[in-house]
Amino acid sequence: MSQVGKDIPHDSAVGHVNGQSVYIDDMPPIKNELLVDFYYAPVSHAKIRKLDLSDAEKIPGVVGLYTYRDLDGENKFGPILKDEVLLVEEEIEFMGHPIVVIAAENRKAIESAKKAIKIDLEKLEPILTIDQAKERKMFIGPVRRIKKGDAEAALKKAEHVIEGRFCNAGQDHFYLESQAALVYPGEHKQLVIHSSTQNPTEVQEVVAHLLGLSMNQVVCITKRMGGGFGGKECQAGHPAAMAALVALKTGRAARIIFNKDQDMQVTGKRHPFQNDYKVGFDKDGRITALKADLFSDGGAANDLSTAVMARAMTHTDNAYYLENAEITGTICKTHFPPNTAFRGFGGPQGIAIIENIIEEIATYLGKDAIEIRKINLYGINERNVTPYGQRILENSLPEIFEKLEVSSDYKAKRKAVEKFNSQSKTHLKGLACTAVKFGISFNTKFLNQANALVNIYTDGTIQVSTGATEMGQGVNTNIKQLVAGEFDIDVDHVIVMATSTEKNNNTSATAASSATDLNGSAAVNACQKLKARLTDVAARHIETLEKDILASPTNIIFENNFVYDNRRPDTKVAFKTLVKKAYHERVSLGERGFYATQGIDFSWDTGPEGTAAGQPFLYFTTGAAVCEVTIDRFTGELKVDSADILMDVGAPINPGIAKGQITGAFIQGMGWVTTEELRYADDGLLVSHSPTTYKIPNIQDIPKVLNVNWIDKVNPVNVKGSKAVGEPPLVLGLAVWAAVKNALAYVSGGEIAKLHLPASNEEILTRLHQFLTAGSKKELAHKH
Amino acid sequence: MRDYLLFYVNGKEYRVSGQDAFQPLSSFLRYKLDATGTKVVCEEGDCGACTILSGRIKDGELQYKPVNSCIQYLYQLDLAHIVTVEGLTPKGELNPVQQAMVNCHGAQCGYCTPGFIVAMCGLFDKQKKASECQIKDALIGNLCRCTGYDSIIKAGLAVEVDKVLSLKQLYPSQAILSQFAAHKKESVCIKAEGKTVFLPSSIKDAISFKAENKEAVIVSGGTDMCVNMNKRAYDPQTIISFCNIEGLSEIKIEKNILAVGSRITLSELEEFIKDRLPEFHHLLWLFGSPQIRHAGTLAGNIANASPIADTPPFLFVMEAQLELSGSSGTRTVPINQFYLGYKKLDLKADEIITRILIPLPEKQEIIRLYKVSKRKNLDISTNTAAIRATIKNGKTEKIAIAYGGVGPVVFRLPKTEAYLTGKELSLPNLVEAGEIAVSEITPISDVRGSKEFRNLLAKNILLKFFYDTDEAREAACHK
Ligand SMILES: Cc1cc2nc3c(=O)[nH]c(=O)nc-3n(C[C@H](O)[C@H](O)[C@H](O)COP(=O)(O)OP(=O)(O)OC[C@H]3O[C@@H](n4cnc5c(N)ncnc54)[C@H](O)[C@@H]3O)c2cc1C
Ligand code: FES
Ligand code: FES
Repeated sequence: MSQVGKDIPHDSAVGHVNGQSVYIDDMPPIKNELLVDFYYAPVSHAKIRKLDLSDAEKIPGVVGLYTYRDLDGENKFGPILKDEVLLVEEEIEFMGHPIVVIAAENRKAIESAKKAIKIDLEKLEPILTIDQAKERKMFIGPVRRIKKGDAEAALKKAEHVIEGRFCNAGQDHFYLESQAALVYPGEHKQLVIHSSTQNPTEVQEVVAHLLGLSMNQVVCITKRMGGGFGGKECQAGHPAAMAALVALKTGRAARIIFNKDQDMQVTGKRHPFQNDYKVGFDKDGRITALKADLFSDGGAANDLSTAVMARAMTHTDNAYYLENAEITGTICKTHFPPNTAFRGFGGPQGIAIIENIIEEIATYLGKDAIEIRKINLYGINERNVTPYGQRILENSLPEIFEKLEVSSDYKAKRKAVEKFNSQSKTHLKGLACTAVKFGISFNTKFLNQANALVNIYTDGTIQVSTGATEMGQGVNTNIKQLVAGEFDIDVDHVIVMATSTEKNNNTSATAASSATDLNGSAAVNACQKLKARLTDVAARHIETLEKDILASPTNIIFENNFVYDNRRPDTKVAFKTLVKKAYHERVSLGERGFYATQGIDFSWDTGPEGTAAGQPFLYFTTGAAVCEVTIDRFTGELKVDSADILMDVGAPINPGIAKGQITGAFIQGMGWVTTEELRYADDGLLVSHSPTTYKIPNIQDIPKVLNVNWIDKVNPVNVKGSKAVGEPPLVLGLAVWAAVKNALAYVSGGEIAKLHLPASNEEILTRLHQFLTAGSKKELAHKH
Repeated sequence: MRDYLLFYVNGKEYRVSGQDAFQPLSSFLRYKLDATGTKVVCEEGDCGACTILSGRIKDGELQYKPVNSCIQYLYQLDLAHIVTVEGLTPKGELNPVQQAMVNCHGAQCGYCTPGFIVAMCGLFDKQKKASECQIKDALIGNLCRCTGYDSIIKAGLAVEVDKVLSLKQLYPSQAILSQFAAHKKESVCIKAEGKTVFLPSSIKDAISFKAENKEAVIVSGGTDMCVNMNKRAYDPQTIISFCNIEGLSEIKIEKNILAVGSRITLSELEEFIKDRLPEFHHLLWLFGSPQIRHAGTLAGNIANASPIADTPPFLFVMEAQLELSGSSGTRTVPINQFYLGYKKLDLKADEIITRILIPLPEKQEIIRLYKVSKRKNLDISTNTAAIRATIKNGKTEKIAIAYGGVGPVVFRLPKTEAYLTGKELSLPNLVEAGEIAVSEITPISDVRGSKEFRNLLAKNILLKFFYDTDEAREAACHK
């Protein structure tokens, strides 16, 4: 009856559909609770000459106004580098940076207080582009390097070379539940924080650090998030800290809920990248050398930028073998909110570089890009070492390409596209197949650990607590299935509890797609210890029932809510009875499990010439997608006709959830590369700060044909043969972008068509226009 | 005169007066009734998380439509029965729509889910069976960031339709209807903290109130007004809410003129013109979302005077007339003369739009409407255009072109029209016309597109028109 591998509903599904699931803003208010909000920097870069709160203080209903001076801890924090301030001291470094925390009895008082705050600024020139930062040498952290072979020399020898610059813009997370926290003050400066965070431990740590508390004074609880996508990995700490400050100062419960516009304006985004590349290849399109210099826009502080850059650099190869490669990564400091984690974490940005390059090689050589991809795919027994020296094991990419090319009818589609484009005067089609090879594990080794608490109660039901946070991705359901599977009991007998730092300490963020891998493994570890004890009890108990056999733990089987000795399969003891028995025998029914990923290591300077090297990843999740698009030649509007996705996601713990992750991530990736355009005013103000102007995919935008499948494969190195699936499929959204680039190649007359990411209708039309003006004149001449 | 609002939520009666009347329904639900199933994300009608069903009397019974509760203020909901996600399972068991969403993984984080459930229940309340296309159309107004929608569509297709209870079955309407009937005749006026809202029951009441209160603003569907209140700190002190007004809800065709009452919602209009004006029907499909179209009106779209409103270009080329009523009587104004400048109208302080009169086109006329937006559905236009042409013997006998999004108001392009009149609608002529069109417009760069993009579109739309009308022009030539 194994519970693992079954398609059961999400553990919160019922509450989600009847409106009973509780999010932070749904928690009933308690007596005296205060509303918290903040006054933020109105410009991107300035010195504060004077801040006058005297009028704001007098507004009825305003209970407190707090600045950095009110923080009893240190106003400098950050997950990697401590280079960010919660509340501006003298220098404003981005628009939206909090300056004053406002606590009030009602919303009206807050709005009046914001208006009554007087600020005198000395405006400074902001840095708002990567080029400006490069010019002024404003960087965060060191320049990192990955080196394999001798790219310089190989480029010199290469038959063909293409050089270029490729830019991708940012992306807003657009989780539906904006940032939120509710803080209850307790005795002795203790705080209980309910936070919509992917990382309760970080919230605990940040709050303690900023407010001058010790970590054991702060509990952070996360029941669920209304979406996270990386946006609540670090940046949930800021609202939590502001509410905690108020709770600590006033002794009253304090709640902060960002509205959507505020959320979009003050939080960081997916990192924009600007990359300069030089690629050498032979006449077949085989890449012989790649030099890529990656520049990311880190925003005003590091946040996770260094880690994001690491992932971008270790994913620039993507699914393709690079004999000679030199990849550098530089983070530019600009005056935008610190850019942060976003599903894929730099992976999509790194991968976009090479997928773009491959489309260009194809145009250059006049070949179908799928041939270039196939010729460059990592091999199974050879050509299988990444630029940072990790050997790829269990490589399923060749199998995926072979199968997908057939199942998606690629060849027929290509023919149809060619025919269509030669005939249509109004529309243009494009077709592309892009790949993903996504490394699983945090690049930072120590984060690859997790603990879990499993409590069995005397009625045979189980509570599990781990550091994983539920944001819709179904980690709780996966863990529930894993735990039920260990004892082979009904999933309904297991509940995964709210995540709390009180039960699970020093946890890693629910990120890097690895929450189930790490926390699920820790939970399984706890279950195995419990099961060993219960097995002993069962053996002894069955001995008393079956007089002619001796207790033998190795013969004990847990099956379908019962336990038996396989020598006497008819004598079944209910799991519940066994648990009761164990309790009476004073056997512990609670256990803490632990898991630390083995065999991974990575460093920035142990490679050739002090470059990066190691085995950062336990394994890779891989896949490919074939997408066909149609473009309106006159408006640049884009339709995705079909998407065929094939992945290797191991043996999913819950196929329904895995499929939901693939589909959801793919569509999110499609949004990134098409309609999701962040528009800024010249002074750095984000003008597309709500769904009215920031367009995530609508139900009408999904491909008319959408096939999502995975190959039949078991992952030998992860829990129950599964693979992490949260982020990798987002990368496949790039197939839509590549198809647009391919469409442009049909009108570019052999020229390489440049295309920024996102390929919005404006971007597409502008590019088309370059080629078509010449073309349409020709066409006119021909017609008349 | 009644001084309170009367409405029902999930079968329970509420009477609201004073300051409370001046809040969005979503706040009332979440913070007064603790009904937190209804989520609020954007507060501007653009995500659908706050979707509820609003039941109003039509043809003697309650008809339920999905609307966005964040931009429905309570004073727009007098005499309505509101059903929220909590009210869809009165017996505590999941309904077939909910069950299908559970089974098909239609929810991930769950934040959008109540909105989807309500919108989908609205669909299955209207019709027993729904195709994939109809399911998608019904959910245009609901954004989901997690699922990629596929599982939600599959859930819609998997609903056990035979088991769906209609809202009429869930909420017997007799008591509600008689309560509404008893309260219907009177106008309502609520005053609190210096603010007034007046709910006229007749056109006469509306005009005389407006004559006495020149500063009073009309809230009809509220899909523009309430967004301004939520997002732009717009805080009108005197409001006339049209939710109960009689006499403005008629739509008919008389002597080949389509007469649309100013309380006719965009979705009622859409329904009515389906076969008669397919191009306009398609444009309305692209207009906002079902939630927006169930609340918003054609009159509101016109009076809001946005240069990127979707319907005016069509009305311009059709030479529609606006019927305006005020204390000194009724007059009609051609829409082509209604806009005096950016957001300036030929509408007196005591006047209201009562009807929009649209002459229907002749059979052989060619009409094409264009809306270019970043995202196809549920987006505000970057550029809009309407082109109406009559072709005889291969020559353009008459042509009318109206553009939006390329100046402070929607306007016709007289020079371009003049150039094309009498000429063949050939590609070279349209290319040339594009150059003239560009000289007639003054687009700016903003969040929806650059000036260059808009200029390019202004030209390209004429080329698109050429190819779009290939067949129609052929046909015209043979007649
Ligand atoms: C999410 C969303 C999507 C939208 N999408 C679109 C879209 O795709 N295309 C588009 O064009 N618009 C769109 N809109 C704007 C809006 O929905 C339309 O303009 C709608 O037609 C307004 O009608 P209403 O009845 O809601 O107007 P209200 O908001 O009630 O009023 C708008 C204006 O009209 C005035 N008014 C209303 N009725 C009368 C009357 N009878 N006499 C005199 N003045 C009157 C009001 O005083 C006010 O100034 C969208 C809005 C939202 C929130
Ligand atoms: S909250 Fe987004 S539509 Fe109402
Ligand atoms: S399930 Fe998360 S937004 Fe739809």
